[in-house]
Amino acid sequence: MRLVTLIIFVLGTWAHAQDKPVKSDSLDVVLDEVLIVAAKKAKIETDMKMAVSVDEFLASSESISFIKRGAYAWEPLLNNMSSERSIITIDGMHIFGACTDKMDPVTAYVESNNLSEIDIKSGQEGGLQGATVAGSIDLKRKSSAFGRANIWDAAYQTGFEFNNKQFFNLANASYSSDKLVVDASMSHRKADDYFDGNNDEVDHSQFTKFNTSLGVAYKTSDLSSLRVDAIFDKAQDVGYPALPMDLSLSRALITSATYKQFFENKLLKVWDSKVYYNAIEHYMDDTTRPENLVHMDMPGWSTTYGLVSKANLKSANYSAEIQLNAYDNLSIAEMRMYPQDRSEQTMFAYSWPWVTTRYAGLSMSNALDVSSSSVLNFGGTMGVNYNYSKYIEFNRIFHPGASQEKTRFLPSLYASYQWYPGKFDVSVGTGYGHRAPSVSEGYGYYIYNSFDRYDYIGDPDLENEISYEVNASVGFTHNKGHVKAKVNYFYIQNYIIGRILSAGSPMNYQSVGVKGYTSLDYATLFNFSLQADYHLLHNLHWNGTLTYARGLDDNQNNLPFIRPLSYQTALHYRFGDFRFQAELNGDAMQVNYSPEYGEDETPSYTNLNVSADYSFYISNYKTVVQIGAENVFNTYYSTYADWGNIPRMGRNFFTSLKINL
Amino acid sequence: MKYSNYLLLAISVVAVSCTVEKTDYEAEIATDTTEYFDFEEVSTINTGDYNLTIEALNGTLYKGYNEIHVTLEHAQSQEELSNAAVTFLPILTDANGKQSSCPHDYQLTYDTANGYYVGYAVFTDITSSTAGWELFMEVTLSGEIQAVSQTITVEEQVNKNLNMTAFTGNDNVQYFIALVAPQRPDVAENHLVAGVYKYIEPTQVAGDFPDPSQFIYAVVNDHTLLLDPRMPEPSMGNHSSPNNEDLTQQNDGLYHGVVNYTMTGNWTLNFIFQDAQGNTIKGTEVPTDFTPGIEGVKSELYIDILF
Repeated sequence: MRLVTLIIFVLGTWAHAQDKPVKSDSLDVVLDEVLIVAAKKAKIETDMKMAVSVDEFLASSESISFIKRGAYAWEPLLNNMSSERSIITIDGMHIFGACTDKMDPVTAYVESNNLSEIDIKSGQEGGLQGATVAGSIDLKRKSSAFGRANIWDAAYQTGFEFNNKQFFNLANASYSSDKLVVDASMSHRKADDYFDGNNDEVDHSQFTKFNTSLGVAYKTSDLSSLRVDAIFDKAQDVGYPALPMDLSLSRALITSATYKQFFENKLLKVWDSKVYYNAIEHYMDDTTRPENLVHMDMPGWSTTYGLVSKANLKSANYSAEIQLNAYDNLSIAEMRMYPQDRSEQTMFAYSWPWVTTRYAGLSMSNALDVSSSSVLNFGGTMGVNYNYSKYIEFNRIFHPGASQEKTRFLPSLYASYQWYPGKFDVSVGTGYGHRAPSVSEGYGYYIYNSFDRYDYIGDPDLENEISYEVNASVGFTHNKGHVKAKVNYFYIQNYIIGRILSAGSPMNYQSVGVKGYTSLDYATLFNFSLQADYHLLHNLHWNGTLTYARGLDDNQNNLPFIRPLSYQTALHYRFGDFRFQAELNGDAMQVNYSPEYGEDETPSYTNLNVSADYSFYISNYKTVVQIGAENVFNTYYSTYADWGNIPRMGRNFFTSLKINL
Repeated sequence: MKYSNYLLLAISVVAVSCTVEKTDYEAEIATDTTEYFDFEEVSTINTGDYNLTIEALNGTLYKGYNEIHVTLEHAQSQEELSNAAVTFLPILTDANGKQSSCPHDYQLTYDTANGYYVGYAVFTDITSSTAGWELFMEVTLSGEIQAVSQTITVEEQVNKNLNMTAFTGNDNVQYFIALVAPQRPDVAENHLVAGVYKYIEPTQVAGDFPDPSQFIYAVVNDHTLLLDPRMPEPSMGNHSSPNNEDLTQQNDGLYHGVVNYTMTGNWTLNFIFQDAQGNTIKGTEVPTDFTPGIEGVKSELYIDILF
């Protein structure tokens, strides 16, 4: 670790020394154009709110829902599937949370002001970066282009949310010359407990997060560049009201070095290679919960090294990406229980017994223009996944003779056909892919799940989960609006889920029994979404979303965490420099719940959110102020995926200010 | 630009240190256990013609099960002798002068492969200011008997994984169960070994002291120890483990089974001791409910361990 940080430091200094203007030539322009395309600028903000957290931003996607354990670090569910089934990466880098209780999804280690966009791919199309069933979420960092018109660019954002007294400050700055680019960001958020719709304080829902990032890119030749990046994230004193423990500290250091080579007048356009290293430490804390019968320490560590190398090919009617992915992850989680008489010997076990995961995969995605109005996309991956459990004896307690090493082959294939007849756009697609069990599913040991109140035990010899998928969409574009319907259906063989074990007894005192991860013969998942938007007037815009999903196991019983019928409808009105937004969203009653997995029937709810913003200039600097309110009617509610039915936030007034410097 | 350098410096500083050190697992499970592999000399006794060297693990005799190795050599020629009959009788004299023994192998057997006489003793008490052990041995070679005695020291067994228990069964027989292995358990499936012995009441009047017929102990054959391991700590709520196997007698005369320890700490091995017909001699079934906050109920027959 010392070495890596030293390298970054040296590179940073060296890049600084190279900071002198260089005359641009035509080749530079070519390169810059490509780079600008690569660094597509999309804003991390929602229609309602301009200062959002990464979670709030992701929530605006119709294919993502969340399991919420509090106000912080929500676990994203893609296509109604838990995070083991999706690949979440930062600029293609694999990162794995260090918490056995999923307190730290990867999305918790970035901040909205160091991201440029989030790329969500559904199903096997997301398999480019690794084996997946649900798809992939790639968090793309900001990366300024060389030779930008304005050399300096900066933004500062601050705001206050009244419900939980969240005060945040986000700043980012970038420097761009012909040879050197520097992107930097820093942010701080601090929030107290939030209050629910009954104006009751939800204890242990506070958080503090600090995040900073730095990227330095240097143009090594007319057609090549080298970039080093680092993100440092630190969360402290984070409460998880739905869990029996909180977080005292989590830290992540995410580093990478990328070399990009462009090619002119060739089929091969860009070759982009990255080596990366990230380390996460995560320390749960229950000293804030004196009501707990047992005091426990539960630290976790996750360290990943990796390589991503990709080549983009393009000809007149064909483009492709070939990607080589390799990583090595070591996940360690410990638990130490303290007896009531502290002079007695403590009790120790590993909940992740030093589990190594190595993956290498070669994948290719292709897009072929079949005609001027139709495209065929197809591709696939061949991956090899290797697991090693250093202290396999833990796993062998429940699975005598379990293998210490396990190698799996993870193939995946997909194809889709897009057709644009007139104002319509139609697509049909299919996919097939394997995934390996996650560290917890394979090697987890007495991981307490406070939702169904069972201790979970992994099985190293679980079969690969195999997904067969079909999807289709139909869209219609009118000069004033657009409507699109999407469906997908997954048939997942060897679906991994926890089943009650007759052997063993609980270890965590809140627990009621032991569940082992086992494979169901199959499970099926169906997702439907309908999206529409329409310009009622030139300054009045409407959009709406309707989603429905259904998940069933092999006995036609409901799967857990499947979102009931949900809707969202919003109006946006612009008047001069003012903008007004109103949004209604909610879920219908959760009828298809799963008592087997600790779910109960969740009533329906509807939320109204409103906001208004005003743009003006402070001596040439564009400034936007926004005020708004979420849950205007102060409804008391919890959603189907709120862990332990914890209530959501009640009425929340928010204000924010953004200055572009 | 200055700022970014400071930032890098800051990142470098925080990155090099982990806030909480990872547990050294090997050291963790060795905290309360010491594993001994080497037999070392406890004592050497000279009978006149012979030297008897007594060896035990760590060169110490502990309360509980001890494997005993004895080498016999001619005092003058120092030639090792393999064809003698060697007997071994430990006697405890308590504060009242009452004499008793403990489970032991009276007639040692010669182990040709290793070149020593082998036996065992399950000491039921430690040497204290009021009670002491004396060892009586006889060497018979070519019809000639040489007897010798020596005071020995029995120390407390600090490794609770080698604990023992003595009890009187429903059949009024005095029994002894002593743990033999593992010395250092893991959070894993552990091969559990115990010795089970009984005291045989003398059928004849005592002769001259020490009369071996008054101190007969025997290995209990073909019985079963039903096993239910649990963590007694109240917060553990009577926690147990899966895939355990009851202890049954194997060819070495000892009882072998499997115990799974799911984490380090205090465990209670709850036993039900049954004869070959399945009649219970001692022990009761323990509740299997998960009862957080309440100390686990132990069987009538149990041994506590700690690692």
